[in-house]
Amino acid sequence: MKKLTEINSQRLILGALSVGSIFALYILVTSAKDNNPALLPPIPMIIGSFTESLGNGNLLSALGASLYRIALGFIFGTTCAVILGSLVGWYVIAEYIFDPLIEAIRPIPPLAYIPLVIIWFGIGEFSRVFVITVACFLVCIINVIAGMKNVPKVYVDAAATMGASRVQIFRTVAIPAALPFLFTGLRIALAAAWTTLVASELIAAQNGLGFMLQEGRRYFLTDQVVMIIIIIGFCASFMDRVFRMIQTRLMRWSEMRE
Amino acid sequence: MSKIIVEKVTQTFGIDSGSSLKVLDDINLEIESSSFNVIVGTSGCGKSTLLKMMAGLFLPTEGRICLDGNEIKGTDRRRGMVFQQDAVFPWMTVAKNISYGPRIRGASRAECAEIEKKWIELVGLKGFESSWPRELSGGMRKRVDLGRVYANDPDVLLMDEPFGALDVQTKERMQAELLNLWEITKKTVVFVTHDLEEAIFLADRVIVMSARPGRIRHVEEISLPRPRTSETRLTEELLSIKRKLWSMLEH
Ligand SMILES: Nc1ncnc2c1ncn2[C@@H]1O[C@H](COP(=O)(O)OP(=O)(O)OP(=O)(O)O)[C@@H](O)[C@H]1O
Ligand SMILES: [Mg+2]
Repeated sequence: MKKLTEINSQRLILGALSVGSIFALYILVTSAKDNNPALLPPIPMIIGSFTESLGNGNLLSALGASLYRIALGFIFGTTCAVILGSLVGWYVIAEYIFDPLIEAIRPIPPLAYIPLVIIWFGIGEFSRVFVITVACFLVCIINVIAGMKNVPKVYVDAAATMGASRVQIFRTVAIPAALPFLFTGLRIALAAAWTTLVASELIAAQNGLGFMLQEGRRYFLTDQVVMIIIIIGFCASFMDRVFRMIQTRLMRWSEMRE
Repeated sequence: MSKIIVEKVTQTFGIDSGSSLKVLDDINLEIESSSFNVIVGTSGCGKSTLLKMMAGLFLPTEGRICLDGNEIKGTDRRRGMVFQQDAVFPWMTVAKNISYGPRIRGASRAECAEIEKKWIELVGLKGFESSWPRELSGGMRKRVDLGRVYANDPDVLLMDEPFGALDVQTKERMQAELLNLWEITKKTVVFVTHDLEEAIFLADRVIVMSARPGRIRHVEEISLPRPRTSETRLTEELLSIKRKLWSMLEH
């Protein structure tokens, strides 16, 4: 058995090593004489693009617009998913009503709805948020239902023999027992939100990170494209970290591996 | 009063799936109010199944089970059950587990605290009130489970091998505690075990089941004097009953 501190330092060293070597490789390749900066922009160019769009305010307003869409879509989508998914996973009647619908819609990639959404709701803000909402909802609800279905029977039976009603069992047993699945659902939904955000902004937005990607492609600003990709990766992984922290806090009872 | 009558009960699993398995066949039992009944039988003979039906977790395929003349059709806090598996809620601390029953019935914080204190002490878990179940040993978790069911104060105690995971000393202490509790409260107890000595030590009657499909093979009235102490375990009387039942379990 290793001590925890040892594992942590091992993790840091190996992590730094893998990131560092990719970084070094990139510098090596881009500093070669015959490198075409329009294909592989050297790091100073990427940083230059970053400071420039930060300076003229473009980056922050794009980031703000995108985060706003993500927040709305994520909150609407996952709230509906948690409520409906809990009911479907717990109450057989709800399952009979909604499960065929969910099963029918689920295999269709959310991006496939974009043309329909544009025809119905136009190319406004609503459409973009709507697509993100649908994406978050669909990936989240599957996990919520799975969580409810996987509540160990013995806990349900134990609560029932102590006189708990179906609703009380739902509240005091099913929800906490399904919490790991719920969190997985939220985290996958967040990833889905970023994916669909970029797609929806590629189509008809006048601002946002996806728009800046599109702009970069159109005017061959590869440094801007790479810079935005890095920013998206950074934001997405930061948010995922926050979720994992909340999860560890809420689930101190669980034997989850660190 | 809480008398349980099991009438011509048959349980067959998997009728719909085609490969049906008859687990219990024509079980007839009268569990007297306030009596201590122990069921013994080989593994897989349907003891847990019978106990779960008494709890109301599912209905018999044929026949019926009545509590004081009313057919059992669902779960009820009057019939508390200690499960063979680990049933302690891992997301609640020891104390919250213990007071679960009273809490869902709307007991006040003070009442819950009092109940927690009393039962945590009785099952010997003082100092572990705010521990998570994952931080306890298997035997300690079983004691949380027991305390939780006792604290819920049912009329009938259905116990499925509750002391199976405990070491001999703890086991004997818990048996003595259970008998104490039972003498005071006079709850009706149905207790399942593999351990013949435990069965005879605790019981008014030992019900011996035969395997596949489970049937009642024999009912032995145990007239060892009460209160029973650790000396009782060594009496010739207990040993001779043990020998007799042992030979019945063999085949
Ligand atoms: N839900 C179920 N579906 C199908 N078969 C079941 C189910 N529950 C139990 N059985 C079967 O019924 C039989 C009796 O099971 P049960 O758990 O009642 O045995 P038991 O007497 O408690 O055994 P043990 O002493 O090992 O706990 C077993 O053969 C088991 O496979
Ligand atoms: Mg069993």
